[in-house]
Amino acid sequence: MMKRQLPLLVLVFCLFSRGALIASTDEAEKRLKTAVNQVTEIAAHAPDRNALATGVKPTLQNILSFETMTRRAVGPGWRQFTPEQQKEAIGLFTTLIIRTYTAKFTPGELPSVTFKAASSPAPGRVEIPTTSSYKGSHYDVVYRLDESDGWRITDVVIEGVSMIANYRTQFDAEFKQGGAEAVIKALNRSLATSK
Amino acid sequence: MKINPIIVVCLFMMAAQSAIHASDAEKTAAVTVVKKANSPRVKSHDGKSVRLPDDDLNDEYGRAASVPDPIEPLNRGTFWVNHQIYRYIFRPVSRAYDTVVPSVVRKGVFNVFDNLEFPKRFVNDLLQWKLKSAGQESEKFMVNTVAGVGGVMKVSDRIPALADLPRPDTGQTFAKWGIGHGAYVVLPIFGPRSARDTVGLAGDIALSPVFWVSIWFPAVVWMPAVTTPDSVRTLHDRLGAYDAVTENTLDRYLAARSSYIQNRSKAASK
Repeated sequence: MMKRQLPLLVLVFCLFSRGALIASTDEAEKRLKTAVNQVTEIAAHAPDRNALATGVKPTLQNILSFETMTRRAVGPGWRQFTPEQQKEAIGLFTTLIIRTYTAKFTPGELPSVTFKAASSPAPGRVEIPTTSSYKGSHYDVVYRLDESDGWRITDVVIEGVSMIANYRTQFDAEFKQGGAEAVIKALNRSLATSK
Repeated sequence: MKINPIIVVCLFMMAAQSAIHASDAEKTAAVTVVKKANSPRVKSHDGKSVRLPDDDLNDEYGRAASVPDPIEPLNRGTFWVNHQIYRYIFRPVSRAYDTVVPSVVRKGVFNVFDNLEFPKRFVNDLLQWKLKSAGQESEKFMVNTVAGVGGVMKVSDRIPALADLPRPDTGQTFAKWGIGHGAYVVLPIFGPRSARDTVGLAGDIALSPVFWVSIWFPAVVWMPAVTTPDSVRTLHDRLGAYDAVTENTLDRYLAARSSYIQNRSKAASK
């Protein structure tokens, strides 16, 4: 009896898993689309870069997971940060990420974003590829989202360049030289000198 | 100009050797990951042994942009010189070009010389055995040359099948053949390259009709400075990309290296 029911159970399980996967990618995609629309709308009407950064900050805080981004950018060395150092690093990196993200836009110019089929490389993770058309050029942009406190972006990959992998290379060099203190000092230095 | 075949062979051997080292480095990286998975405990800030979280164990970010950089001090020096050249020479030249030459003319100049890079894309499509792309590339060249009046207008943009074709180059072909990045190098003016892509650059130049015309007719030797992919016609976009990569960073040099390697790895996977 059980033997006869096994294929049916497997089929039901597969259908259920597939349904859950589609539901989760749909939810992540919906959330990302809302955030991208909000950001592009703000970018289109912002008079200057400062207004743009201030305007998009609430949306970015709502959709980006700054804690995960900082942890992954630092890598395994994150465990050697004290809780205070972790908090400070997250705060500084948040400001840097917002600056980096808003630097990609010119106030008043509206990029058009085409969303492609999302994929789930692991449970609780979704990758959403898009094509952004901006100032006559096309860019492949992949948004990586994790499900923690809702779907949140943990990395943005532009033309194959991962924002987090890029910072990891830089954080690694600082961490090897002077541990958590060196990373925090470098973040402060970068924020003081960058636009 | 006569190209010495010995130099070409030497360059190729250097690239191949570097690629072998790179593939060794990739093996070492793989071993490191396995070791990490076997000993998933690290010391925390207070000296306690703690288990790494899953995303630290599946640490794709630690390996995403690794490349051997044996001449880093020299590369950093060249990078600094390039940065000054971009800042004090190229940026004013780019601004002047954008101001003096009307946008429509700039677009036309860009299109004409982009169209003339057809041999580079076509030959590399063939070398990568992408016969369909090679056919589409030929079709695009014909459409733009005939209907686009010598390539001034990019008519192919209005044909969906031809609008967004990949842009293969010789470095990418080497990657498809299994040759690794090799050592990272910063070339004067040209900027970041891997050993593989440096040899690839020589291949791209050899496939450029503009280069050969300027060699055969010394009176137009200035042409590559205006027309090639790394010339004034693309300066605006390239400086924009350089700024996007190097602004808001902790270390401009490392950011450029990481971005270059990741971007080229993606190009090789297409």
